[in-house]
Amino acid sequence: MNHSIKNKIYSVAILLLFITLGGCTKYLDREPLSDVTPGVFFSNEADLAAYTINQYAFPSHGGWGPGLFGNDNHTDNQATGSYATRWVPGEYRVPQSGGNWDFGGIRSANYFLETVVPKWKNGEISGNAGSIDHYIGEGYFLRAYQYFNKIQAFGDFPILKNTLPDEQEVLKEASKRRPRNEVARFVLADLDSAIMLLRDVAPQGGKNRISKNAALLFKSRVALHEATWLTYHKGTAQVPGGPDWPGTGKVEGFNINIDQEIDFFLTQAMEASAKVADAVPLVENLKDNGYDSSKNPYAMMFADQNLDPYSEVLLWRAYNSSEGITHNVNHYINQNGGNTGYTRGFVDNFLMANGLPIYAGGSGYHGDDYISDVKEDRDNRLQLFMKAPGELRLTDQVSDGEPILIGNPDIVGLPETRDVTGYSIKKGFSYLSSQDEGSSGTTGSIVFRAVEAYLNYIEASYLKNGAIDAKADAYWKAIRARAGVNSDYNITINATNMTEEAKNDFAAYSAGQLLTDKTLYNIRRERRSEFIAEGMRYADLKRWRALDQLANNPYIIEGFKVFGPMQEWYENLVEQGTSGQTANISSSKESDYLRPYRVILNASNFVQDGYRWTPAHYLEPIAMEHFIITSETPGNVSTSVIYQNPGWPLQANEGAE
Amino acid sequence: MTKKLLKKKAIVSKASALLIIGALALPLTSWSAIDAVTERGTVRVQQTVSGTIKDAEGEPLVGVSILEKETSNGVSTDVDGNFSITLSNPNATLTLSYIGYVSKEVAVSNQSFLDIVLEEDGTELDQVVIVGYGTQKKVNLTGAVSTINAEQLESRPVQNVGQALQGLVPGLNLQTAGLGGELNQNLSFNIRGGGTIGDGSSASPLVLIDGVEGNMNSINPQDIENITVLKDAAASAVYGSRAPFGVILITTKSGKSGPARVTYTNNFRWSRPLGLADMMDSETFAYYFNEAALNGGEAVKFSDEVLERIKQFKNGEIDYGTVPDNTGDRWQYYTGSHANTDWFKEQYKTAALSHDHSLSVSGGTEKSQYFVSGNYLDQGGLTRHAGDNFKRYSLNGKVSTDIGKYIKLSYNNRFVREDFTKATHMNDLFYHNIARRWPTVPAKDPNGYYSDPSEIAQLEDGGRVINQTDYLTQTLQLVAKPLEGWNITADASYRTTNYNNHSDVRPAYAYDVEGNPYGVAVGWNTPGYSSVFEHNRKDSYFATNIYSDYSFTLNDDHNFKVMAGFNSELNKYRTLAASGSGLIVPSQPTLNTATSQLLAEDGQYQHWATAGFFGRLNYNYKEKYLLEINGRYDGSSRFLQDQRWNLFPSFSAGWNVANEEFWTWNDKIQMFKLRASYGELGNQETNNWYPFYQSLPFYANAGGWLLGGTKPNIASAPGLVSTLLTWERVTSWNFGLDLAMLQNRLNMTLDLFKRKTIDMVGPAPELPKILGTGVPRFNNADMESYGFELELGWSDHIGEFGYSVRGVLSDDQQRITRYPNENGNLSQYYVGRKWGEIWGYTTVGIAKTQAEMDAHLANVSQSNIGNNWSAGDIMYADLNGDGKVDGGNNLLSDHGDISILGNSSSRYRFSLDLSADYKGFDARVYIQGVGKRDYMPNGPYFWGAQGGMWQSAGFSNHMDFFRDETSNMVQAGFADVNLDPYYPKPYFNTNKNFQTQSRYLQNAAYLRVKNIQFGYTLPSLITEQMGLSRVRFYISGENLFTATGLSDIFDPETIALSGWNDGKTYPLSKIYSFGINVNF
Repeated sequence: MNHSIKNKIYSVAILLLFITLGGCTKYLDREPLSDVTPGVFFSNEADLAAYTINQYAFPSHGGWGPGLFGNDNHTDNQATGSYATRWVPGEYRVPQSGGNWDFGGIRSANYFLETVVPKWKNGEISGNAGSIDHYIGEGYFLRAYQYFNKIQAFGDFPILKNTLPDEQEVLKEASKRRPRNEVARFVLADLDSAIMLLRDVAPQGGKNRISKNAALLFKSRVALHEATWLTYHKGTAQVPGGPDWPGTGKVEGFNINIDQEIDFFLTQAMEASAKVADAVPLVENLKDNGYDSSKNPYAMMFADQNLDPYSEVLLWRAYNSSEGITHNVNHYINQNGGNTGYTRGFVDNFLMANGLPIYAGGSGYHGDDYISDVKEDRDNRLQLFMKAPGELRLTDQVSDGEPILIGNPDIVGLPETRDVTGYSIKKGFSYLSSQDEGSSGTTGSIVFRAVEAYLNYIEASYLKNGAIDAKADAYWKAIRARAGVNSDYNITINATNMTEEAKNDFAAYSAGQLLTDKTLYNIRRERRSEFIAEGMRYADLKRWRALDQLANNPYIIEGFKVFGPMQEWYENLVEQGTSGQTANISSSKESDYLRPYRVILNASNFVQDGYRWTPAHYLEPIAMEHFIITSETPGNVSTSVIYQNPGWPLQANEGAE
Repeated sequence: MTKKLLKKKAIVSKASALLIIGALALPLTSWSAIDAVTERGTVRVQQTVSGTIKDAEGEPLVGVSILEKETSNGVSTDVDGNFSITLSNPNATLTLSYIGYVSKEVAVSNQSFLDIVLEEDGTELDQVVIVGYGTQKKVNLTGAVSTINAEQLESRPVQNVGQALQGLVPGLNLQTAGLGGELNQNLSFNIRGGGTIGDGSSASPLVLIDGVEGNMNSINPQDIENITVLKDAAASAVYGSRAPFGVILITTKSGKSGPARVTYTNNFRWSRPLGLADMMDSETFAYYFNEAALNGGEAVKFSDEVLERIKQFKNGEIDYGTVPDNTGDRWQYYTGSHANTDWFKEQYKTAALSHDHSLSVSGGTEKSQYFVSGNYLDQGGLTRHAGDNFKRYSLNGKVSTDIGKYIKLSYNNRFVREDFTKATHMNDLFYHNIARRWPTVPAKDPNGYYSDPSEIAQLEDGGRVINQTDYLTQTLQLVAKPLEGWNITADASYRTTNYNNHSDVRPAYAYDVEGNPYGVAVGWNTPGYSSVFEHNRKDSYFATNIYSDYSFTLNDDHNFKVMAGFNSELNKYRTLAASGSGLIVPSQPTLNTATSQLLAEDGQYQHWATAGFFGRLNYNYKEKYLLEINGRYDGSSRFLQDQRWNLFPSFSAGWNVANEEFWTWNDKIQMFKLRASYGELGNQETNNWYPFYQSLPFYANAGGWLLGGTKPNIASAPGLVSTLLTWERVTSWNFGLDLAMLQNRLNMTLDLFKRKTIDMVGPAPELPKILGTGVPRFNNADMESYGFELELGWSDHIGEFGYSVRGVLSDDQQRITRYPNENGNLSQYYVGRKWGEIWGYTTVGIAKTQAEMDAHLANVSQSNIGNNWSAGDIMYADLNGDGKVDGGNNLLSDHGDISILGNSSSRYRFSLDLSADYKGFDARVYIQGVGKRDYMPNGPYFWGAQGGMWQSAGFSNHMDFFRDETSNMVQAGFADVNLDPYYPKPYFNTNKNFQTQSRYLQNAAYLRVKNIQFGYTLPSLITEQMGLSRVRFYISGENLFTATGLSDIFDPETIALSGWNDGKTYPLSKIYSFGINVNF
């Protein structure tokens, strides 16, 4: 055999092998082909817009239920069939995991800012300069929005301005909480950046996107929230530096001058709110009596499909059934009671149109034998936003030539659709039958409404100055005039009897004491009346520290006067205590008024004796897993760099006393 | 290239040349042909013939069966090997058969004495098994390999190969997955248990069909010649990083030279849903829900007025199922209606018809052979209103021909089409909803329209899912045999898979009291919405293999086989999807007829590739001492260049003790082989195909926050990428014993294994949540799977009665051996944790009286679980004696009163395959099961009333709950007191009684008669007259009987699936079938 030829053949073979190996390297280089790599993103304005819109996590209508209009459930304003454990000390428990101690939204905002701001400064983003500024402004706003939620949930919270690496020690160090006032100042700083950069009107999307005024309004909300929190909780463990504040010894470089902080936040709140209130007029109210409010802009602001034309709306969410983005608000609000209802306390707290409380002499109050009596001559907001039987239900359908009307409240029906108190929600009520079917609601969902700026200014300026200044006077009168209430608020102040108000309103109290300042009380009443069914109540009650009195004095929620003439509406009522039968209504022996939590009185009904409270509930408990992960000594949660909120135990599934 | 390098290469090439030449110089094995001579006689006289039968060594054989051909006249040899038989025909032919020996036919030809020698049957021992890139004599195997042949898959009325294989191969675990019996749902499978925890990587066996990676469920079971399962690292090593968790090699039938052989097989079958729960009647249900509501602090769900209507309807006094609501425009349902509907009966058929036909033709000459087969399967679904159906069409062709003296060319082509359709509304929500429909809800309203809650309108009118998948696999192969014992094989395969998925949503309506329609939601869509979604995906898979093997023997006793080769695979796919809404005509659901929101939904390009060099050396000394060394140097595109290539070696050895001189029990034990193997492989199956590239999630027109009424584009922050990610390494040990006894009538294989997955992609380390995003995973955990496999076979005959028994038993357990969970958090893995551990409370019992509960609570607080404990509630044990029942901090060091109650892993999987034949009749019983499994069901199917009324169910089993005199049901006189029940008091709104606990732990072990079949093969006399060579009729049944300790609400094979809760899934079926096999 010819060795040299063989040698050549095998040399070639081995050479081929090496070539193959070399070829393999290329063959095995397989990068992603259809993914977006972070390096190339954020190079034009549309990229920025796509990123920030994805972080819009504002409360809005959705799911099965009455949408935002059910968010005041579990307060003294509004009740639903079930109860919240927050009213049952011991039952609201420390979770094992999860909860609001979550940083996803904050990281998203930080990633955006730390990636985009340097590119922006280097001029590496193409597009309209103003639009680019706007979207970066949205980035700051969104971080501020995330942080405000954390302040409301926990108070003290870690301040984070950048994304962090996945390194235990860095993260543990960063997890240390900072005092709430410092966090609030951080939020205001972000909002100042946002206000500077945001446009009056977003480059696209109209008022479905954040604008400068929305940021100003939000700033006033944050500042007022912090100012009032520090004011009313001063001297408790819920305030940095207060007695038994859990941050003592754990927060480095801590000092605080609370009064200076309060003054700072009040000033900020006033400045920001005045800018909005001066610029944005309130939507007109035609002051109809509520039979058919379909032409009344003030009512339709909450039930229209396009909210852009309503001056007062600063930010709203749009729905579109062909995009599959819908809600069920009118499937409930229009068709039935939606498993909610106003409380008697709330309804009785509304003024008469003449400005007098209902208990005042000469108020002209017609009594509450019928729902329609209750509404007559009252604050027009009650007339517009609470149902009464016989009012128009649909404008686009008739039945045998007759208009279709609202029926008597169904107080014993299916829980999901029940009228829980008899006083039923009408905010957001659409007169269109197409809105009624399941998952077909497309009415807009309001995020920010300018009237809040009016109210924030009144409250902040009064707390700072101790008097109603000229701006506050003008704003208050504007609100009352629009609400159809005598705009002379002094008539109301003079006629206010705090003992009477205490029956109907948690906010008649702060720190367990009945308010003595009737002006201050009426500022709170105005807020309660204006924000009927808008989900603002619980946060207000907490910042005013208006729940301490419930610790020793539980509050029983009531509805309409079922054991009056209206009893005739119902045939199958079985009172609580009827032997041999299962009750579907509370007992007439204890009250003429429907008491939704006193129908079934067994031991698993924890609120049958009324809503109770413990101060720990003003802040949420932090779930146990977060202490476990951040413990200095594994397994020993007390060595965590995080401290638990006041009153809450370091034990999963246990409640605060 | 440098000079130095060139020089080095020259040396290498010289060395290799020498090796090859040396090999060529070896003496070639000589082959001898055996000539058979047949003699024929002519005289017809009855006579007796006698003789002796001996083996090759001259030892007489005892009990050899001697049969006069084509008669039932037979005898057997005595202890000296002598026999005597009286023949009906002096020219008869005798058929001699003896287990372990080659059967022989002897023509008597008027002889009176016959001296016959039977040759030992080598088929059992010489059986050749297909292994990676080659074959191996079974007797010389050193790795863990199991084989299955066509007969074991025959005549099973199953839809796919996976179902037929379940239980057959020890160590190949097949399990119901996804939505249970849904027609497009395949069984999930693994070899020797789970291989990774699935956090970032997956562990699935490599399936090769005629050498090409493929979906085993896409082929027609009739086309399979045999299946080899490579279980340990030594056996699968040549497949490298594609096969650390085993390989399933499927070889399909191919042509054999000879005249054309035509085979036709069919099967007709009726499927019935298996194991549906038994719903309460409406009256029982109403009382039951009232009871749960009252216990939970709610008002009754059914008023006296409705209860009265329920009774009237039940008694036939009224014939309408509901009445209008108080506004008069809509019908009442649920709490206000009074029908008596069994929703399982409403939604499932009592029988679904399917049929299956296969035709194959094969034949050829010495030089060229062909095989062509076609198959049609029409599988009917069990849903009554949704009309689901699965069809499979397949067409295979295989040709091979010698294109020269040394080269053979073969070409395989396999086309498979699968068509699947169901109602769009039939998603997991549908199964969730079946038992959430109350019996009081009528299927039809009083006007005769399908009722709103029935969802039947949505099923029938709400649109269809139509999926079509086409597989086209083509392989071209060249095999050269330049010298005896030397093969060079080169092949290239290309497989394209086209997925064409269509779904549409069409408006469905319910009707109000006046008969006016109103829209109802189809799936999650808005009522009245119509849309169409088209999703196409095209997969292209390209693989090449070049390998060569050479066998030679040195000094007669040293047998070598060397093999080396190269393999590359490239897998690509691209997608194209679009959707549109607002169909002009709902009956025409196409993108062309959609009016709005026309969107491109998807357009991906993805790819990955592997390449590897592999080699194998087999050596044996006189087939006594066996050694095998495998190696593969493998690269994967998943890893960046510096980590891309890895070497994976494996070793195995065997000792055929029975071949030793000292082995003197050859008459009883023909094979006694000990085996051991060790190997290390890598796993390239990272869940992310590009784990080192950061990508920024971007979606066009996908945002839920509308701008200008339409969905905006959205983007979000990229997740973190770990720079620490690298290969997972899989090491595996195997020890085996192969036995063949009693003339190979008894065979046994035993394997013990331990497979470790080292540096497994584990949990993301638990980091403080302030990170704000998912923690990237990296290789920080180890686990192991260990167990055994035992296969025992017995095959014999008594006269003409042949029978065989094959039993299989296997076990595997998985344990975590490294895991970063220093705190011992019980919601994660921890070191030492076994897969499937069930943690829960220990039940003391159900308190019969308040006093008993109070006495319990005097010592133990249960307030962390719930409140208001009363008679009929569960008393939990305070295991740690701290006076309260809780789960502590859910840490290993502080787990309060929860402890390990059991394990939900399937253990001791077994099967028993019994078959027998007698004079054309044949029978088979195939039993499969799981020997040990604990299970804690969740959800309403198990508990009945729990959570709230919308998430509860009421089955007849749930009536066995605690009732004392205070019970509403008892007071109403509807039911008796039940102080010794199975279930505690039912409750809405609290789960205090429904914790995971010892009392309700289920024994989910089962034994299922998977298949029973009887067949009859027509005598050849008759078939020959008909011009056929073989005709067999058979009846066959599937899932005919089940024994289990599990609550009969559930099927033991459909628990723990995906879906909303246990039981909320498509049922399996019991199948009755018949068919015919015809060979022309």
